[in-house]
Amino acid sequence: MDKKGTFIAAIKENEGFIFKIAAVYTNSTDDKNDLVQEIIYQLWKSYDSFTQKSKLSTWMYRVALNVAIYQLKVSKKRIFTILIDEQVLDYHEVDNSKTEENWQIFRQQIDTLNLLDKGIVMLYLDNKSYDEIAEIIGISSSNVATKLSRIKEKLKTQIFKKM
Amino acid sequence: MQLDELKNTWDNPNNPAEQKQHLTTKMIEQMTQKKYNSKIKKIAYPEIIGVIICLISVLFIGINFYKLDTTFLQGAGIVSVLLLATLSILSLLSLRQLTIPEDVNRPYAATLKIFATQKLQFFKLQKINAVLSYLLLVSILILMSKYFDDRDITGIKYFWIYSFSFGYLFLLFYSKWVAKYYKKTVKQSEELLQDLQQFYK
Repeated sequence: MDKKGTFIAAIKENEGFIFKIAAVYTNSTDDKNDLVQEIIYQLWKSYDSFTQKSKLSTWMYRVALNVAIYQLKVSKKRIFTILIDEQVLDYHEVDNSKTEENWQIFRQQIDTLNLLDKGIVMLYLDNKSYDEIAEIIGISSSNVATKLSRIKEKLKTQIFKKM
Repeated sequence: MQLDELKNTWDNPNNPAEQKQHLTTKMIEQMTQKKYNSKIKKIAYPEIIGVIICLISVLFIGINFYKLDTTFLQGAGIVSVLLLATLSILSLLSLRQLTIPEDVNRPYAATLKIFATQKLQFFKLQKINAVLSYLLLVSILILMSKYFDDRDITGIKYFWIYSFSFGYLFLLFYSKWVAKYYKKTVKQSEELLQDLQQFYK
């Protein structure tokens, strides 16, 4: 498989996380689509700098999170780039009223966290090991554990506050 | 919602973040093309137009500098040129912060540190910008009345009374508005930096 083919396969394999990052770091469908595009564009642009010291997915997560942060600066001055072609998307209708509601609660909870905690939680939810989270975030594995424990406490406290 | 419950939502393939969306090979190929990275450029246009207007104004003041026949008017001319140049530089600097740097491989915490620091700098720049813009307004008023009406309005005492009292009120309300508007952002950025100091060296 050629370079582009490998890249496309890797994107397809990790598209779920890319969409989730885009959904968590933006507040509208347009911004989300813009961020997905920007992440893929930046991943391709810096693909040659991937040194294979880490797993490809680990590198992709790191780039995706970084791009999401840079995009935050631009999102308030939103300008339309391209729209993800809705015709090309693979649509399948599902009854999503409950999942939509759960997602809104999820967003409310996640948005109470600062950007560092948000990044750590997303990686944790995506089943990344402490070592992988540490590598992507740039802190030690023990600090990841400490952080996650504090985040759990914080989320619990918020539940009590709401009750 | 606890972390385990968050995980259920995160893993649900029907959640709105993932639902209905699958990238095709064609779409990924399109997204790797430069033409889709035009957002920053479009944001840059108004800023660049602003800088061009500043440069034209500098040129205009320079060419017509000989018409400024008193030391005070010449001082106003020099101050205007300096302010226009400073505002242009500040505008370009803020634009530079919007572009995505080459190194997107750095650790997430390092990116956050830069992000939070830039947010705080941006807040300070907004305040400086307001003061400089007001000073520019006053100096340009002085110059324009001379250039287009051949009058030296600095001799009119009401000009100074109004310009200073209005300027004071403007800056007072503007700085309060800026502080209120950015209060949450500033607090979040400061807290994030404290958090990073503790966990990211």
